Amino acid sequence: MKTKKEFKYFTIVEHEKEQEYLRRRGKEGWKFTKVSGLGMYHFEESKPEDVVYQLDYNQEGLSHKDEYIRMFEDCGWEYIQDYAGYSYFRKPAAEMNGNEEIFCDDESRLQMMQRVFKGRMIPLFVMFSLVIIPQLLLSIFSTHNYALTAVYGAITVLYVTIFVAFAVKYKKYKDKVK
Amino acid sequence: MDQHIRKVYIPMTETAFYILLCLRKPNHGYGIVQTVEKMTGGEIKLAPGTMYGSLSKMEKDKVIKFLYEEEKRKIYQITELGNEVLQLELRRIERLYKNSREVI
Repeated sequence: MKTKKEFKYFTIVEHEKEQEYLRRRGKEGWKFTKVSGLGMYHFEESKPEDVVYQLDYNQEGLSHKDEYIRMFEDCGWEYIQDYAGYSYFRKPAAEMNGNEEIFCDDESRLQMMQRVFKGRMIPLFVMFSLVIIPQLLLSIFSTHNYALTAVYGAITVLYVTIFVAFAVKYKKYKDKVK
Repeated sequence: MDQHIRKVYIPMTETAFYILLCLRKPNHGYGIVQTVEKMTGGEIKLAPGTMYGSLSKMEKDKVIKFLYEEEKRKIYQITELGNEVLQLELRRIERLYKNSREVI
């Protein structure tokens, strides 16, 4: 069977984009098999099929994996794998009445964002404040190593972009609930 | 009933409402999904991510309690506090319904 790998980078706030990407590949005849490393997506050739992919972020679910996965399987969602705290599920569109997602209200979508915030954004922010920023300042004012300044400067921009993107996304979910 | 519970559950989401309604008898998450689908003629299909998140949150808030596990499914039941919350919410919905009938 023919297989292929694709490297693709999605930031923390882009899980919807990632879901659409996997669905698109499925329609093109490439069935998603796994994601590994820093964003290496593995596919195998199969007949084109419209399959909906969904990501959940639920650490409590991961620590009670049997029951967690059972709930999804009962509802017709196939569990694929965990990756960076996210669980990957899929269900063929043909088995659905209209559109189906693993969340059925905006409150629970917002709650997932809150779990991502606690599990991913806070550690990132701690890392940013305790490591990246001190290193950046050190390279500018103390060691005068401007090559390092450029590196840490670029990382700072990347971090800030992710923080802003998350804030924007969070607000979008929050506004829907109000 | 403390302010936190009142704030979160009055009014409550449709999902939380159906969970409390169904859990007057012991049941598991998927059982609730099926019951609600039947009850609403297929109009409301609760989703697993929402169900899992709501059940664990409601268990923490002590409006439902975990009884036992059966074939990897957790069986829950409503608590006394949950019943109080449900009655309050029912009264609110009945009032809404009654008022709207008087106007329309």
